[in-house]
Parts: sequence; C-alpha cells; structure tokens
Amino acid sequence: MNGSGFTPSAIDWRRQLRVNQRRTRFVITIFILVYVLLGFLVDIYLTSGRVPAYVPMSTIMEALLTFQVFPYATVTMAAVAIISIFVTYCFHDRIMLLGTEYHEITPQTARNLLEQQLYNVVEEMKVAASLRYMPKVYLIEADYMNAFASGYSEKSAMVAITRGLIEKLDRAELQAVMAHELSHILHQDIKLTLMASVLANLMLIVLDMLFYSVLFGRDDRNERNNGLVMVIILLRYILPITTILLLLYLSRTREYMADAGCVELTRNNQPLINALLKIHGDHMQNQEAYGAAYSQTPHEDVRREAYLYDPIQCGIEPVQSLSNLFSTHPPLSDRLKALGYHAKISSNE
Amino acid sequence: MGTLFLAVLVLVGLGAWMVAIYNKLIRYIEAVHNDNKQIDIQLDRRYKVFESLINVVKNYMDYEKTTLKDVVALRAQAKTAAAAGDQAGKIAAEDAISKIASNINLVFEQYPDLKANQNALQLQEEIVNTENKLAFAKQAYNNSIQKYNETKKSFFESIIVGMFPDKLNQEFIYWNLPEEKIAEQEAYTVNLNKDAK
Repeated sequence: MNGSGFTPSAIDWRRQLRVNQRRTRFVITIFILVYVLLGFLVDIYLTSGRVPAYVPMSTIMEALLTFQVFPYATVTMAAVAIISIFVTYCFHDRIMLLGTEYHEITPQTARNLLEQQLYNVVEEMKVAASLRYMPKVYLIEADYMNAFASGYSEKSAMVAITRGLIEKLDRAELQAVMAHELSHILHQDIKLTLMASVLANLMLIVLDMLFYSVLFGRDDRNERNNGLVMVIILLRYILPITTILLLLYLSRTREYMADAGCVELTRNNQPLINALLKIHGDHMQNQEAYGAAYSQTPHEDVRREAYLYDPIQCGIEPVQSLSNLFSTHPPLSDRLKALGYHAKISSNE
Repeated sequence: MGTLFLAVLVLVGLGAWMVAIYNKLIRYIEAVHNDNKQIDIQLDRRYKVFESLINVVKNYMDYEKTTLKDVVALRAQAKTAAAAGDQAGKIAAEDAISKIASNINLVFEQYPDLKANQNALQLQEEIVNTENKLAFAKQAYNNSIQKYNETKKSFFESIIVGMFPDKLNQEFIYWNLPEEKIAEQEAYTVNLNKDAK
C-alpha cells in the first residue's frame, strides 16, 4: 500500500505548528470580534427603538461606545457566552463516549498483549509530551478503524481507540496515532473547538431573535432604521454559512497541527502516513459494513470532529446534515502532503 | 490628574507584564529540572524492570545467570559515576545495560517456540516499552531546554533576564552523546555475514 506512487520527504513540523497556530489565532479573533459586533448591533437596535426617530445612527453608536448609554446586550451576551462555555467544558468529556460499547484500559485490566501494548504506547507518548497526568485510555468495541481524544484539561484528558485499529496497526503506527491524539490534548484543541462552536451557536440564536423581532415586532415607527433592518436580514443569511466555514477551517487547522505534533513527539513521519493510508484503505474496502456500523452507533455526531479520520472522506455519512457537504478534516492527500508525502503522478486513492 | 492616572496605569501594566515574563521563565526552568529528573526516573525504572525480567527469563532458557549480576554491577557503576559527577562514565554504564537488553531480544530470535510464547512476547513488549520511554524522556528533556532557551534569548524576555540574571539565566546542557561516541555510532553498520559474527 505504501510506497507506490508516493515519494516520502522530511517535514518541517516546527513551521507547520507555527503557521497553523497563527491561523487559529486569526479564526478565534474573528469569532470574538463578530460576537461582540453582533452584541453591539443588538444594542443599536434596542437603543434606536427607545430614542426619537430623528436621532441619527452615528449618535447612537457614539453614545454606546462612550458608555453614555450602557451596552446591556453586549455585556449580557458576553456573560451568557462565558457561562455556557464553562458549562460545556464541565460536561463535554462525559458525552464523548455516548452510544459506544467501551471499557477502560489500565495495566491491571489489560486482558491481552494488544491492550497492554496500547496502554504502553500511550504512556510512552505521555513521557515524550511531558504531560503531568496519564490520560485515561478507552477501547471501543468496533470493527472500523478510528480514534479520538477529549478532555478540557490535561487532568481530564482521555483517548479512545477502536478495536479495529489496534488489531490492524503495528506498534509504530499505533504509536503515531496516539501521538496525534495526545497532540490534540497538548494543543488544547478540545477547548478551542468547543469555545468556537458555542460562540457560533449563541451567535445564531441571537441573530434569529433579532431577525424575528424585526419581522414581527415592528412598532409604529417601522421606517426608523431601514439600513439597520437590511443589515440584520443580510446577516441572517450570510452569518450561518460564514460560521460553518470558519469552524471547518479551524478544525482542519487543528488536524494539521496534531499531525505535525505527532511528528514532533515521535520524530518520524512515516508511521502516521502508513496509518492514515491503512485506515483510509480499510474504510474504502469495508465501506458498506462500516457505514452501517457508524450509523448504528448512536450520537456519532459528537465524535465526528474529534475522530482521527473523518468517515465522510470515503463516502460514509454517519450523520445526515448540511455540514456533511464539507469535511471537518483536510483531504487525505493534503494531510499526507503536509506530512511530507508527495504524490508522484496521481494519488492511488 | 488625567496624566498622573495614565502614568500610574502604564506603570502598573508594565509591572504586571514583567511579572508575567518572570513567572513564565521560572516555570520553564522548573520544567527543565523536572524533565531532567524524568530521565533518572526512567533509568531507575529500567533497572528494576530488567532485573525482574532477567529473573523470569533465566527460568525459561539457558541464559547465563551472570547477566543479572552484570546488570547489577553496571547499575552500581552508573550510580557511582553519577555521584562522582562523571557523566561519560554514567552514560557508558547505561549503554552497556541497553546492550544486554538487545541481547535478550537476540536470544528470543534464536528460539522459534519462544517467539510464539505469549509470555515471551510480553517480555519483549516490556523491553521495547522501557527503552522507548527512556528515549522519549531524553527527547522531552531536550525539548524543554529548547523552549526555555528560545524564550530566554528572545527580545523583551532577554531584558528581564538581564535584570535578574542569577534567578533567570540558567545554562542547561542538551542531552547528547560525547563526540567519540557519535563517531563510533556513525561508523557502525550491520553485518549480517555469519562468519563475521
């Protein structure tokens, strides 16, 4: 499987990490900025309902910016965001294994060599990453090959891996996969993507409320701010698509970073390349069986973003939704390229 | 009044920023210390694991009982060398223990029955695991030195380091092999000819 049609090369993982860190900062800044701006828009809307119609928009903005009129909506939205992000952090790691059949692996409970090996490999990667706590290791009883990591801090971190994966990968490949997952923990990706998606959801809720209050809640002075109404209607259609694209961009960026982090920890890019090719090939081969297995597992959507390999990339759609048009993961060929594996003429996918 | 308030604000901000840099560097220094000790922890673990492994292995096969004595002797040698500050002596002794480990693996290859044996496979996994952990601990140590050094030497941070040199300016040596050892390892090739062995 490997070697044919590809030329391996070295990878500059330090640069990969830096570039993607910068991209993440960019996305997160945009998210917070848009959120605050939306709060400001609500404030403008509310204030303009309270003042006489002849007061120009610029005066309202100025009054809000200089706190002459307190921006209640912005502050309330910020508070709501902080609370909901905190609550999500507290409960998130409990829902990640929802619907799967799993058991925890410890040195005492390992039933055979493979399970022992899995625990050892995670422990080795923990040493390489100098993590302070050993993440919990879970084995999911499933034939398809996949893995994910979760936890909002080092202390609550966990990695989960399917039985199919530990049976079909060799030790080095397993190690690479675990290094990829531990990199997600190390880079605090779970925190980051959760924060972004909570902000995105709140944004859409607020926007909906604003939109319907413009549509149905019109008072007698409905001609007061046509510009504002236009902006709100326009945003209602543009913002959802924009947030989906931004979220996808963010999660793809974090995937690249975890791949680079894997090379940082193991100082070897070959095992992860082999593992990805194996997983992809295996998914292609057992497309139907795995498709059924994925769709029979309840709550598959909570894991989708966290998975090592997005099953959508081989045509399996575990969850039916609009965002299935896009994968949360970069295309396999791009990932391999970033790992230093260049297709010679055409990829063998 | 306004300017005074502004000046105070700027000073407080500057102070907080300096404290943040100071604390960050202290954190990095302690991380380097910790990662350095992690190597010792792994060496210690390896000694204990091998000791019990050899005890098990000698029941299974005709493996010289002196091996255990060798490991114990080498470990003592490493400890005295470390106590005397003789880094090269310590590394040499630890390397010798590594060789014994690969010898055990060689013995496995010679007994096909043993290779199929679950217990033997488990032992082999244990050896790989132990050696890997040691290598990764060394790598983690070097990584944390890199992180500390690049922060310490970059601009702004270097100013703070200049203000508290005895606290913040530490010199750590990357874990590495001595020059002659590197040359020896570089020249090393695998010879699969039977008579050469």
